[in-house]
Amino acid sequence: MYELFFQSFNNRIALTQKEEEIIQPYLMPKKIRKKQYLLQEGDTCKFIAFVEKGALREYSVDEKGNEHIIQFALEGWTISDLYSFLTGEPSTYNIDAIEDSELILISKAAHEELLLKVPKYETYTRLQITGAYIAMQKRLTSIIGSTIEERFTNFTVLYPDIVQRVPQHMIASYMGLQPETLSRIRRKILTSK
Amino acid sequence: MIFLVYTQWYEAVHPITFALSKNKNMKTKQTIAVIGATGSMGSAISKSLSKGNYRVLLCSNGEEKTLTIVNEIKKSNPAADVEAVDCTVLASWEADIIIAAVPYAAEKEIAEKIKEVANQKIVVSIANPLNDTYDGLITAADTSAAEELQKLLPNSKVIKAFNTTFAADFETPVINGIQADAFIAGNDEGALQLVSELVSTAGFNPIVAGNLSVSRTLENMQLLLIQLGLKYNHNWLAGWKILHN
Repeated sequence: MYELFFQSFNNRIALTQKEEEIIQPYLMPKKIRKKQYLLQEGDTCKFIAFVEKGALREYSVDEKGNEHIIQFALEGWTISDLYSFLTGEPSTYNIDAIEDSELILISKAAHEELLLKVPKYETYTRLQITGAYIAMQKRLTSIIGSTIEERFTNFTVLYPDIVQRVPQHMIASYMGLQPETLSRIRRKILTSK
Repeated sequence: MIFLVYTQWYEAVHPITFALSKNKNMKTKQTIAVIGATGSMGSAISKSLSKGNYRVLLCSNGEEKTLTIVNEIKKSNPAADVEAVDCTVLASWEADIIIAAVPYAAEKEIAEKIKEVANQKIVVSIANPLNDTYDGLITAADTSAAEELQKLLPNSKVIKAFNTTFAADFETPVINGIQADAFIAGNDEGALQLVSELVSTAGFNPIVAGNLSVSRTLENMQLLLIQLGLKYNHNWLAGWKILHN
């Protein structure tokens, strides 16, 4: 239930058995089925979610009803609306499950207690946030400076699992493309090889 | 406009309830697991809560009666998000809120089963630890069924609720023109708020009575109500109402 969470934690910073025992009571195991929401726009984001199994996505919906995916999360990843989680303000995002999933949820209260109680949890959080920041910078650079073909190729190299598991139209939404445009680019890349 | 007048009236009459309800209307559907869903209380709670923005999982453990209750709910409310789940642990794993609609004697067995998946979750204790002759409680004076459940589930947020309401009250939460109060006790603010919303959805007037140790009083209140009901033949339709200015 917590295996991957602690594995991922230990990969970043090694925990003693005792520290794992202190952390575990703060973790909420939660199963969620495909298409169910973890967060809906307008609600406060109450959790940081770690994916033990399955896949989720985070997206906003524009006035015309179009979905804009800002993040996917597969096994071992973390997903949340950090702004809403930290400030308590209503979220502008939705998070739902693309597959039946098993999550570890950390509430605000649990997060704050863990930060005080377990110094390594603070380190883990810092490493996670800096990692996410770097990834976001790279994504921004690629959006500004690369062609659509380069961006899609990079995406498939970086995240082959997402390309395998997530429906095409969602990947198109993540890349800011119409689904037809994405399939045209895919064909182009395939035929040029 | 009518709503505004009503809201102002409501705020004046129910200041505490109103303060609680202001933060309401959470859009993200909460999942509730009802353990013991075939019992009179469990099925009454399931039926009531399926009217709200909840996904209600009725734990069945193979009992056919659970499906009958699910079908009944869907028949009277096709939009209801209810489902029979054939395993208490699985349902509790999916749930945000777990309602232990089981007698006090069964709480220990349930707690052992769900302990791991109930970590950090709200667990509602509805039990009244009555003796066999309904004239006393079997818990010691310095504890309650809810506090005993909290000891068994130290990492869960145990909340006492729905223990001062009879099963029949759920179909008739307004008795002789007066809405019954329903008391809630617990130690976690956020959990008290969410459970208050459940109580409102069920049609009762929620009153947060205090921390979890207040459950001792609440459980004794129901003992009194049962004794009075037997003495004066209330026919199991009775409730509490606090009169105040």
